[in-house]
Amino acid sequence: MTHTYGDHAGDLLELAAPYALHAVSESERFDIERRLATAGLPVADAFYDEVRAVRETMAVVSAASAEEPPADLRARLLSSIADDNVRTLPAATRSGGRWRTAVLSAAAAVTVGMTAFGVGLALRPAAPPPQSTAQQVFSASDVHTVSGAIPAGGTATVVFSRDRNAGVLVMNDVPPPAPGTVYQMWLVSDSGASLAGTMDAEAVAPSTTAVLENLGQSTKLAFTVEPASGSTQPTGQLIAELPLT
Amino acid sequence: MGGTELFVGDVVTNLLDYPATLLFDGIDNHGRTVVSAPDLDALLRRVAQHDSAAFAELYDATRSRVYGMVCRVLRDRGYSEETTQDVYLQVWRTAESYDPASGSALAWLLTLAHRRAVDRVRAEQAASQRDSRYGAANVERDTDNVTDAVISGEDRQRVAACLNNLTDVQRECIELAYYQGMTYVQVSERLSANLATVKSRMRDGLRGLRNCLGVR
Repeated sequence: MTHTYGDHAGDLLELAAPYALHAVSESERFDIERRLATAGLPVADAFYDEVRAVRETMAVVSAASAEEPPADLRARLLSSIADDNVRTLPAATRSGGRWRTAVLSAAAAVTVGMTAFGVGLALRPAAPPPQSTAQQVFSASDVHTVSGAIPAGGTATVVFSRDRNAGVLVMNDVPPPAPGTVYQMWLVSDSGASLAGTMDAEAVAPSTTAVLENLGQSTKLAFTVEPASGSTQPTGQLIAELPLT
Repeated sequence: MGGTELFVGDVVTNLLDYPATLLFDGIDNHGRTVVSAPDLDALLRRVAQHDSAAFAELYDATRSRVYGMVCRVLRDRGYSEETTQDVYLQVWRTAESYDPASGSALAWLLTLAHRRAVDRVRAEQAASQRDSRYGAANVERDTDNVTDAVISGEDRQRVAACLNNLTDVQRECIELAYYQGMTYVQVSERLSANLATVKSRMRDGLRGLRNCLGVR
């Protein structure tokens, strides 16, 4: 489903309030963010200023609906964080130059955190000793990291090596696909897209890792929404893509 | 006489002029120390360093705002509890992505919580279109359960007064979008109003609220 929205700055600014209230569809949100990225700094600044003001306002308004949660939630929460070492990388802001900066710093963060990361990494399928694909990737001399925010929420990071022809995908806090659909990942090259994996609701939350074998000549990893049965070629909505460069 | 009226008027004006940053400052009606807004920033920075004591403090300072807002959106206590737990787990994991330059810690937290609540309500609606749970009915808030630990009665009254200052149609648009998780397109369908009208009602209502609450 493709929507066309007007390209005038005024139209864009009118959407700041619904955007700030999370009152736009996923496809329109993606479209707004794409337009903001190319709208020029004054328009983007005016838009995000209004978004910020709306969110500050609703934060103050939350006093009116305050309600005490069940008392046992506190203990459950504290015990669930006690041994939780998952760290979500800073989400990249999708506006102009800030996007690139955020991606670069996220890439740096994942590199720094890699030792801690590797220990608890639940890789599927289980790799035989002595060295898993992930270990080979992490120890490769040409290891690269790319990371980005998924428009629907959460972050995807790929650590990859061209020498090893493989990569490791880590997804954090990506919301599950809508019922009846799955996410599929595609390695995209000039000659087309090859299926790199399928994730259903269970596989997504809250943190997922997957090994990407045979990168070949692929230049990016794309994520689409597909019917629950899965597709052999991307047919559904493109929700995100990461350049493998 | 005239003097008394002037005095009452001054009090009302002063309440409305309270800057948002003072919301949590000071001592509440029961003599308990109340966490100040700048402290939330400091707590969040400590949470980013895996400080679980700071996390517990942050939870106590904000839980009633988060849970209450999530309840308004989800209108189901079980779902709201799960979502609140998810929200704070996400806070634990993503605290380092909070940038004080882009807004207050409280706004960051409630934005994150609202996003999750809206995602959940849309997923539940998609999964069970026939489920009466998400019909038009509004579930009344359980006022017995209202907390006063960190939010004073004055803060509530001030927000209520500002909400009352909006026109009915402005309030309705914000209610449907923010608390019922509708997109502005769905709001326009519900109200049989055109999209431009709905967008301007939202914008004007939010600006009115912002001015009334003294949010900068």
